[in-house]
Amino acid sequence: MKNIDILVDNVSCVRSNNLIFDNISFNLSNGEILFIMGPNGCGKTTLIRTLCGIQNLEDGTIKINNLNIDNPECNFLENLLYIGHNNGLFENLTIYENLEYLNKFDLSNKDEFINNSSQFLKFFKINKYKNYLVSELSQGNKKKVALSRLLFTNKKIWILDEPLSFLDEDSKNNLIKLFLDHINTGGLIITSTHVDFSNYFEKSKYLMMQGIDT
Amino acid sequence: MNSIIFKKEIYTYFRSMNYIFLPLIFFFLVISIFPLVIGPNKSLITKIIPGIIWITMIFTTLINSVNFFKDDYNNGVIEMYLTSEKSIEYILFLKIIICWFFTIFPIIIFIPIVSIMFNISLHILTAIFLTLLLGSPILVAIGIFGSALTIGISRNNILGPIITVPFYIPVLIFSASAIESVSNGLPNDLQIYVLLSILLLVLPTMPYLLKYTLRISINN
Repeated sequence: MKNIDILVDNVSCVRSNNLIFDNISFNLSNGEILFIMGPNGCGKTTLIRTLCGIQNLEDGTIKINNLNIDNPECNFLENLLYIGHNNGLFENLTIYENLEYLNKFDLSNKDEFINNSSQFLKFFKINKYKNYLVSELSQGNKKKVALSRLLFTNKKIWILDEPLSFLDEDSKNNLIKLFLDHINTGGLIITSTHVDFSNYFEKSKYLMMQGIDT
Repeated sequence: MNSIIFKKEIYTYFRSMNYIFLPLIFFFLVISIFPLVIGPNKSLITKIIPGIIWITMIFTTLINSVNFFKDDYNNGVIEMYLTSEKSIEYILFLKIIICWFFTIFPIIIFIPIVSIMFNISLHILTAIFLTLLLGSPILVAIGIFGSALTIGISRNNILGPIITVPFYIPVLIFSASAIESVSNGLPNDLQIYVLLSILLLVLPTMPYLLKYTLRISINN
């Protein structure tokens, strides 16, 4: 098992001349889950985007295995799966076509979705909608389709923005089981959430964000 | 992988036929409005119709490409692309080509109908056809670049075209010159080669520029 250590040191972020957050620090290694919590608008999504390299930092460093994520040698994207708040799905494609396409983007597995699609679609009980266009689905089902990517990836770092939103109780429990499996097999998870489900995990960490008063 | 990307792009256009038919309808609607304004001056219309076709083509590509990345941005697909370890330049290249093929190429196919409507001679029609074939992919690529540049700005419907129109000028100049040369009985090889060079410069470099632009735009 490859060891992964994430070190976030004193990071700050500015968007449209507004300071979103500053002096955020934490570290995380295999088998741990980090919950990013805080009120709306405190910068949880922006922090998650900075961790994925989408959002530029104003100050501070993010290192994975002692290599800055800006360093081409770090190549952190080969270990990272990000599912954002907006799901990253194509509205004009069916559930099956979306997952088939997204599977091709995930180089950590070899067509696992295509080979075992019915098994993966049953996990979140979306198999009966597999030929529905994503634009025809409810928000909850869209979220389930996006989260289905977690089932066929072999990536170790999962970064998820409010994964529990719109999900029913059954799906929430299934997702937590999936998180536990991932943590127990040496993966690590960073997730923003408004629901505290840390009691399921032995090694969980919190990051409470307050937002910046201007 | 390539066949799945290709299939996905094709489905996107075929499942929403508006993408294909609306530019075509818009183009022919605008072209047929011009004679109503100019009046029944046949010689004047015959003289200016190549210019009208090109201006209308510019409007069509602008309208077509202004919101090119809007859905992908709103649905989080751009973020998905940028956090994938897979190279997205090839996808962006395919998106340009397929957008051109499904939205602009049908217009070029129907250009002979315009020649019948306005009594354009065959040699001028051939020049218009050739310049559109070489010039319109450049317009589409630049239009998509404008869309990528303004992706993070709300109510950006006019900013993209304002930025991109100046980049259309070289294509417009060489296309107009190529048609003018043919109508004066002169060869237009030079202008065609220049258009071809611009096309061969823009198409391979645009995906890299788009990736960089999307990364900057999504940051704001």
